[in-house]
Amino acid sequence: MPSTPVMDRLIRKTVERHLPWNVHIDLTYRCNERCVHCYLDHEDYGEMTADEVKGVLRQLADAGALFLTFSGGEIFLRKDVFELISYARGLNFDVGLKTNALLIDANRAQRLRELGVRKIQVSIYSSDPAVHDAITKVPGSLDRSLAAIRFLRAEGLQVKLACPLMKQNITAFREVEALAAELGVPYMLDLTVTPKMDGDRSLLALRNSPAELLSVLQDRNLNARMFESPGEGSADGLATGSATSSGIESSAYDDVPCSAGHNSCYISPYGDVTPCVQMPKPAGNLRQQKFEDIWYGSAEMIRVRAARESQLRVCSTCSIRSYCERCPGLAQMEGGDLLGPYERACELAEMNARLAGVPNPVSAMREKFESEGIPRMMARASGLVQLSV
Amino acid sequence: MNQFPERNPHLAWRKIDGDTVIISPEDSHVHELNETASLIWQHADGKHSVDDIAKIVSAGYEVALDAARKDVNELIEILSSKGLLAAPKSQEVSAGA
Repeated sequence: MPSTPVMDRLIRKTVERHLPWNVHIDLTYRCNERCVHCYLDHEDYGEMTADEVKGVLRQLADAGALFLTFSGGEIFLRKDVFELISYARGLNFDVGLKTNALLIDANRAQRLRELGVRKIQVSIYSSDPAVHDAITKVPGSLDRSLAAIRFLRAEGLQVKLACPLMKQNITAFREVEALAAELGVPYMLDLTVTPKMDGDRSLLALRNSPAELLSVLQDRNLNARMFESPGEGSADGLATGSATSSGIESSAYDDVPCSAGHNSCYISPYGDVTPCVQMPKPAGNLRQQKFEDIWYGSAEMIRVRAARESQLRVCSTCSIRSYCERCPGLAQMEGGDLLGPYERACELAEMNARLAGVPNPVSAMREKFESEGIPRMMARASGLVQLSV
Repeated sequence: MNQFPERNPHLAWRKIDGDTVIISPEDSHVHELNETASLIWQHADGKHSVDDIAKIVSAGYEVALDAARKDVNELIEILSSKGLLAAPKSQEVSAGA
């Protein structure tokens, strides 16, 4: 999603000053759904206590963080979740939540509105309960999530549907779009399916092939809405959904591969700090170190922050780079190199370029491998195209 | 005008590099305040009066108190019109009556 001039200016300032203004905290990895594509291990290995989280929030506020996303796992499994939201709002954070909403009733929706939560993202995989519930493995979950969304809307809260697309629900996007219209909320398609946090790549079998995604990317209605701008001065571009991207495009990021480590970071339930949820190597742990020491001084943050577009091996010379939604985290995870290409991004870039009318688009990676006579990379592809609508 | 201006508690805000960024949760609108306005904003806590804030601005920027008072009043009008300040208590009562 494109940025606005106001947001552009602010993003530029935070990138230039390395201010961590956008922070994603997973409060728990526990969950009451068992989604087939989920990359998390749902055991609890010692989550930060409420006091520990509050201490982290104070440090983040002091460091200049403004946008805070509480996610998981399912955050409402934490008995102290309202205490933490209230504390964050008391520190003047802009609070967004990611939830399956199964545990939100009318009273809780009212509480969220009273606390000043700005946006709530709910995962919806289909308007067909059989499809949705088969993905979450919880019978009745679609009906419960939709009921919760209606409670939230009745309170006037901003809700966004996130629809991760995989083999199980590839045809669902039009019906989810209709559902979003009926509920009066925006929605977002996410084509990303990532390996598990322990490196297990079995989930990648759930990805749709580029050919299967063609019908999605060719959808005129979808494409028209992809390029709608938020209103002047709106922070909506930060109403992100993908686990892999801030979802906001800005010229302030032109020379850096993404926001990770520049003005955003991720914190796990155990206090590990990483530049992004897709970069699993911890830069430090908040149980042992201060946030500012990790943010400004850790080798991992400095390594990620030093990356520049012009340094990208192969990708910097790619003729279809502008059609590519390369994610540095997935490049590391799937291609083994933060600065390198990975096959899935190249495949999708070629498809996007072809759809845009580029004749015979060839990614620099494919060019390189073909010129060297090397067969297609063995590494299996990742999915990375986020469509914000 | 509220003589003890108070920030709307529903807003999110942070001072970033001298300026203040404010987000309205209802419409996601982003507001920016420059350094002087940020000083006024920080003291709009329901405890400082308009005169108190004018004195702080006057001392901080070495301007005459009357000029500072005028600037503070103008900014408070603007912030109020945008819903960034809490409604005065008396208005809340009459609105609910």
